Amino acid sequence: MIKFLQVIIDGGLVGLVYGLVAVSFVVIYRASKIVNLAQGEVLVIGALLLWTFTLGAAKFGLQIPLVAGIALTLLGCVAFGLILERLVFRPLIGQSPFAIFMASIALLVMLRGFAQLIWTAETRPFPQILPSGAITIGPFLLSTRLLIGGLFTLVLATALHLFFTRSRRGLRLAAVAEDHNTALSLGVSVRAAIAIAWILGTVVATCGAVVLLSGRVVSLDVASIGLKALPVALLGGLESVRGAPLAGLLVGIGEALAMAYLDPFTNGVASNVLPFAVMIGVLLIRPQGLFGWKKIERL
Amino acid sequence: MLPTGIYFETYAAEARLLKTVRARVAVALLVIGLLAVPLVSGAYVLGVAAQGFITLIAVLGLHVTVGMAGQINIAQSAFVGVGAFATAKLSGYGLPFWLVIPLAAVITGMVSVLFALPAARVKGFYLALTTLAAQVLFPIVILGLPTEWLGGIIGMAVEPLVIGGVTISSPKAFYYFTLVFVLLATCAAFNLHRSGFGRMLKAVRDNDVAAQVMGIDVLRAKISAFFVGSLFAGVAGACTAWFLQFVTIESFTLFASIWYLGMLIVGGAQSPIGAILGVLFITVFQEGLHEVGTEILRNSHEAGGAIFAATNVALGASILLVLIFEPRGLAHRWSVLTNTFRLWPFPHR
Repeated sequence: MIKFLQVIIDGGLVGLVYGLVAVSFVVIYRASKIVNLAQGEVLVIGALLLWTFTLGAAKFGLQIPLVAGIALTLLGCVAFGLILERLVFRPLIGQSPFAIFMASIALLVMLRGFAQLIWTAETRPFPQILPSGAITIGPFLLSTRLLIGGLFTLVLATALHLFFTRSRRGLRLAAVAEDHNTALSLGVSVRAAIAIAWILGTVVATCGAVVLLSGRVVSLDVASIGLKALPVALLGGLESVRGAPLAGLLVGIGEALAMAYLDPFTNGVASNVLPFAVMIGVLLIRPQGLFGWKKIERL
Repeated sequence: MLPTGIYFETYAAEARLLKTVRARVAVALLVIGLLAVPLVSGAYVLGVAAQGFITLIAVLGLHVTVGMAGQINIAQSAFVGVGAFATAKLSGYGLPFWLVIPLAAVITGMVSVLFALPAARVKGFYLALTTLAAQVLFPIVILGLPTEWLGGIIGMAVEPLVIGGVTISSPKAFYYFTLVFVLLATCAAFNLHRSGFGRMLKAVRDNDVAAQVMGIDVLRAKISAFFVGSLFAGVAGACTAWFLQFVTIESFTLFASIWYLGMLIVGGAQSPIGAILGVLFITVFQEGLHEVGTEILRNSHEAGGAIFAATNVALGASILLVLIFEPRGLAHRWSVLTNTFRLWPFPHR
């Protein structure tokens, strides 16, 4: 029984990390109607920026305090978001969803290529930002890093939810997520929305990188977390910021249970297949996810 | 666009693919030229060409699913992989090639139908996500199956291709083998456009609600678009298996799928000419970049990685440039060019 509960706790904590990355998907979609398949690559670029301004700078004899390094990374994320908006998505405003989706796929290969050209494919240590170790509560062991990350995810998701549903700016973004052309005709700046979407998305993804990687190693392969967070975002509903952590919990716990109880019999397949089985299941049964917007179409 | 003075007396003549004598002569010359290439070129060029032909077969399939039916498919490489593994397995049982290729194609088609089923509930990029699931699940499933079945992480050796008692292994023989299939696939792709099936797919692409109102079974159309596109992928997979003589999951990644899609977008998704131009352009570009890169980075130990990265950046950039500046792709530029010559010296229609 204790093992079962421990598995659920571990799965839940890992699931909240998926939830955090899923929030970065949702933020971009919720503010600009772009599903960004390249979110894993965005996360890697955020992580590598942070590495550059902390350990990377130290390597070249430039000691930057951790706080300043994080501030510089945030600036880097803002610049990254603005560049993407200006060069890639501004020219595509009002184009078909097909074109915008293809653009995100093109970004996937391009960002991967850029990351490899600039930082090379080597594996490097990631700065220790969250405390390592674990705390014990009764018979259970909780990783401090994941616990802090999980609480952060919940707070961030609630804050972003309030921003999107209560603030004037946030409601404007919702209009953009509904339809670009309608939003434009009502005087909502789609350019600003896309810029905000990408800045927020990059910053949240970088937070995800911090929780996921703090004190561990970063390489280009980390990008695969993006593909894992996509089913989570779909399950929560692409328009729902609050749904993402909950869906993350569900997928994380399911994955941990499958890993503990099914993998020994299935050669390790069950836990890997589960998120995508969930994704196809969601698409078949409830395409808008748990809390997404139901779309009604007319001719 | 046809110049003044060319007219047709029957509908059959108007519906023909090659309407004029000049077009027929041009295509005949092209085919003769392709047949004559091995006389003048070395093994390297023939290898690249055979690889390009295989890619073209896969991209032509993608053209049916993405270009004609408007359903995004990010799993074409996984489907090619299914065809390749099916070929490796079936030829391992000693089946002749003329049986293996159709079987591999149909098996691939069946697998793709499995992932097209959510079309019953969702559309647009949501459907694209199920193909993404197919692409991600492909290596997981192969690795999870017992090693004796599909080779697991090691991969599978493929029995050499034997046609009429002759073993096909030299680059020249492979060039001709793939040429036959690429000509068949091109012919099929061009003909699909003037068939009822092709028109049904295009109606679904342009507006699926309207298509349904007109009595088209939209679900069937979408699923069969995936099926037909994957038949091409299955044939491409069979050729890949015999070409590489060894199949592993390493050859069929998400990135390969994106390359296929990229070629189609750069060339122009809506016509088979786009698929041909896209594959030609990207292959030549990639080979060129490879040559230049090896020349520059000869002394660097990271040359391989850097060249791979640079080709990825170049591919991503060309997809974005085409999406932004010429969404109809190279095919549109091509038709502008040919029309200019066809109407010259009287440019006004």
